[in-house]
Amino acid sequence: MSSTVAHDFQYESASYQAQTAVAGMWLFLATEVLFFGGMILTWIYSRHWNQLGFDAGVRQTDLSIGTLNTFVLVTSSFVYALGLLFIREGNIRQLIRCCVVTLVLGLIFLALKFGVEWPEDFAHHLFPSAPNFKISGPSEGGARLFFIFYFIGTALHGVHMVVGIGLLLWVIRRARRGEFSPSYHTPVTVVGLYWSFVDIVWLTLYPLIYLIGRGR
Amino acid sequence: MKPGMMRLLVTWGLLILLGGTELAASYLPLARCWRPLVMIPGVLMVLVVSIGFMEVKKGPVIVRAFAVAAMFWLFVLLALGSADPLTRTNYYVPDIHVK
Repeated sequence: MSSTVAHDFQYESASYQAQTAVAGMWLFLATEVLFFGGMILTWIYSRHWNQLGFDAGVRQTDLSIGTLNTFVLVTSSFVYALGLLFIREGNIRQLIRCCVVTLVLGLIFLALKFGVEWPEDFAHHLFPSAPNFKISGPSEGGARLFFIFYFIGTALHGVHMVVGIGLLLWVIRRARRGEFSPSYHTPVTVVGLYWSFVDIVWLTLYPLIYLIGRGR
Repeated sequence: MKPGMMRLLVTWGLLILLGGTELAASYLPLARCWRPLVMIPGVLMVLVVSIGFMEVKKGPVIVRAFAVAAMFWLFVLLALGSADPLTRTNYYVPDIHVK
């Protein structure tokens, strides 16, 4: 293996190119913070005027699936970070294993969320525009608003998860071709940043849709 | 065990601990307006992920600048956006149509 790493013409060195890629991903994530920030603001605003309805809505969500998914996602970030550690030492086989485990955990998350939890919600008449909406009385309007937030928030997070799974497949494919080494693994680093950010978004959504308002 | 692996394990353990704390805190009998305080362990979890898994402290200065800028923009967005609902006083207005 060559000790020098090729770099594009506009960069003075490979490490400068790597730093630029990492900084670029952080800048992208900063824009994503604002994207999800608007959603959090919507939650603050809507909950402030509809506290009764939001608390009633939170108590209808499936806490066990939400908590299990939080554990799954946190563990997936941990496993991916282990993979990054391995490739820094040149262990490409372990990197691939870690990426596959991360991918499987990501798929488990999606299966629980959209294969189990959402169908349960639909079956329990919790879709906000359902004519026979489960919650009635003075908290009905607020609860419908809560479930609009719930479905849009989890769908947007799910889209980010699907993109992350696509990126993981791309990293696995390149790793299997032997394209990464201790001196060049920038794509692994950048995809890891994205995956951890998706984890952060979930860590923010989890209390908003499962916890705040559950206690009486 | 390698030091890097130990750091990741501690990060993961801390996240599980904070997650458990957040879950337990959600059952505290808090007044409705104080219930968002349940999120405090969640905010700490975000910090732990960004330091432990995303290694924000190890990156070049520009990375930390982008991370701080993101938090600053988020603070401005949430502070300005929620200023009205959190400070408005609603006065009772009797229904004039009731006889």
